[in-house]
Amino acid sequence: MNATPETTAAPVGGASAAQGDVTRRDIEAVERALIDQSARGPVLTFFTTAIFWLLVSVVLGYIASKKLHSPDFILGPEWLYKLLHIRSIVNPIFEHLTYGRVWPAYTTAMIYGWCSLAGMGVATWLIGRLTRVSIKAPAVLQFGAWFWNAGVAVAVITILCGYNSGLEYFEMHRAARLCLFIGYLFIGIWGLILFRYRRQSTPFISVWYLAAAFFLFPWFFGTTEVLSSMPLAGVMKNVVNAWYQNGLFNLWLGCIGLATAYYLIPKVINRPIYSYNLASIGFWSWIFLGGLTAMTRLSGGPVPAYLVTLSIAASILMIIPIATLTVNFVRTMKGHTGLMASSPTLRFTFVGTIFFSIAAALNVFSALRSVDSYTHFTSWAHGQLHLVTMGFFSMVMFGAIYYITPRLVGCEWLSRTFMKLHFFGTAYGAGTIIALFLFGGLATGFVLNEPTADKMGFYNVDGIANAYMPVKTYIGYVLFGGAQLIFAFHFLLMRLRIGQPAGEPTLLETPGEGH
Amino acid sequence: MQKPSILFTGIFGAFAVSLGAMVLIPHSQLASLQPQVQWDEGANSPSDVYPQKRSVVGRDVYVAEGCFYCHTQQVRDPQYGPDMERGWGSRRTVARDYLYEDVPLLGSQRLGPDLANFGWTVKVTQKDGTEKTVSMWRDEHEDDPKKPAERNERWIYKHLFNPRAIFTDSKCPPYRFFFEKKEIGEKPSPNAVETDGKFEYVPTHEAERLADYLLSLDRTHELKESPTVIKPKEAKK
Repeated sequence: MNATPETTAAPVGGASAAQGDVTRRDIEAVERALIDQSARGPVLTFFTTAIFWLLVSVVLGYIASKKLHSPDFILGPEWLYKLLHIRSIVNPIFEHLTYGRVWPAYTTAMIYGWCSLAGMGVATWLIGRLTRVSIKAPAVLQFGAWFWNAGVAVAVITILCGYNSGLEYFEMHRAARLCLFIGYLFIGIWGLILFRYRRQSTPFISVWYLAAAFFLFPWFFGTTEVLSSMPLAGVMKNVVNAWYQNGLFNLWLGCIGLATAYYLIPKVINRPIYSYNLASIGFWSWIFLGGLTAMTRLSGGPVPAYLVTLSIAASILMIIPIATLTVNFVRTMKGHTGLMASSPTLRFTFVGTIFFSIAAALNVFSALRSVDSYTHFTSWAHGQLHLVTMGFFSMVMFGAIYYITPRLVGCEWLSRTFMKLHFFGTAYGAGTIIALFLFGGLATGFVLNEPTADKMGFYNVDGIANAYMPVKTYIGYVLFGGAQLIFAFHFLLMRLRIGQPAGEPTLLETPGEGH
Repeated sequence: MQKPSILFTGIFGAFAVSLGAMVLIPHSQLASLQPQVQWDEGANSPSDVYPQKRSVVGRDVYVAEGCFYCHTQQVRDPQYGPDMERGWGSRRTVARDYLYEDVPLLGSQRLGPDLANFGWTVKVTQKDGTEKTVSMWRDEHEDDPKKPAERNERWIYKHLFNPRAIFTDSKCPPYRFFFEKKEIGEKPSPNAVETDGKFEYVPTHEAERLADYLLSLDRTHELKESPTVIKPKEAKK
């Protein structure tokens, strides 16, 4: 009943290893290789472009972060610009790149560029694997991927040039939105077609999450697009915006990330999910409650009070999916945590799920009105954003890319040192950025709530509320960015087929080594 | 295991519940919102309508530069925070205040002060009987010797050109690209922000529109659902 495609494909016990089983296993291995081969083109396009946007977003994030503590700064060596006589070109460009333009460009590149593209790439591969259907016309997916990329490029460039819709995380120009939507239709409909022709009779829990993500995203995106162009009464646009943001993080990124974690963790440790009943409860409560927690973002604002109250109640009820998901992941991993030392996929993915639990728990915590009065209007919200995108989602995606890419290109990752450095930089860089956003937010909150706090420097560039910012820029973003540079280089080598010979996966540590 | 029909019905149900509770119900409530109108007895037209439809110029500059990533435009009830004590308004802002705004720029971060009532002024009668418009007091950089008392166009131009010329430690970025470098003609321009004898920096049309917009921000008109809480204070001379 609870058997998964993975456990049937690779039984642990050797007692029933009869002749017929071996043959079936061989057929399945060939079948999997064929499915992988059909997904190769589009999935690699998704990954490559996603990693490009990851690098773009890290650079923009660094600039945005630095602009807050030194608003006049100019990126790069000024003496070089002087030497090349391009100072008169470079300076005006950087003058235009104020925080108000770079920050939305950064979040757009990160959410729609890196996160969404990587997520769709992993999802494409996962759907192929889970439904056991090979992709018939990969060119359609490729086309969708490039359309989506064009949308992100238009969005980032227009925002940097000074276009903004005024809706947070939905800032992009209408042309960019159209590109994203058309691109999505090519990708998303393909996913649903694969699901329709699935050959796996019992859907794996990951499939539910992917179905939810792929089905809900166009509804949220399209509804927001339609509503934002309608003449609604004043604050309704803010309500729609908060609702969209919530759907984007909980039901688009959240569902894809959870689907990936639910696939990878059991797969790597070669053991089924701890409890399918828990997974089922977690899934339904997540998608029903996840759509109702939106309005804590507008707490205290000029919106009907019951909206905020309803969202606070839903946020508190979110304890149910969070607890079931966390228990399920931890219990599945129980006794296998040692594998994290050697498997990069498991290390990234499991740390990602830990970030997920922290992010979700903090959402519950800061929905409480007494906490919210200290965290509202501060960088705490940015901490939550980075917990979801940089902590949870990116970590899980890295794990998936480490798992999937060797199966597509036909060789293994070249260097375990690169992987270790990547993990180190990502975990500590993202951790630093998130922690400083959160604690900086709390510090600001205490000053903000103190009406005589002017002397404590709420407004000042080097005041108490701002003192943490250089650390975030110079340690957080530099560590994180350096790690992503190594990762991008490593991925490039893989695409050039420079790596270890196929067969044995590259591990962080050979089992038995060390201790 | 669940059938796909149940799965998709459930997922769509989740979306419908979310859309209904978070968007459609508040819409049905807010769609009928009208401006507050006061009719004097026997009058042919209302004596007082708030908020009024007005063509807001310069709002697009505020949006394009992403000012709303650091500045909110909402004053909250005292139970949520000391917004009013900081001089940011005399009452909490409510949905009616944003009736005619396309996307109300409520903002989500306070890296700088709230601007909901940036252009808040009162008319005072001076000793000699003439009326004078005075900006209301705000708490930002209260002890800063550079802080001017009057918030007018010149204040905004100076701040846009170099925020640290107005507030010593401001973290607001400078907007030099809102200014044109011009040779001084017969007389220096009245709005020039910096001059070195031969050249001066004159605000462009964008800067003028942004200044108009900022000075038009005043949401202190008393409303039935949101009475005045704090009596206004005038700016120090």
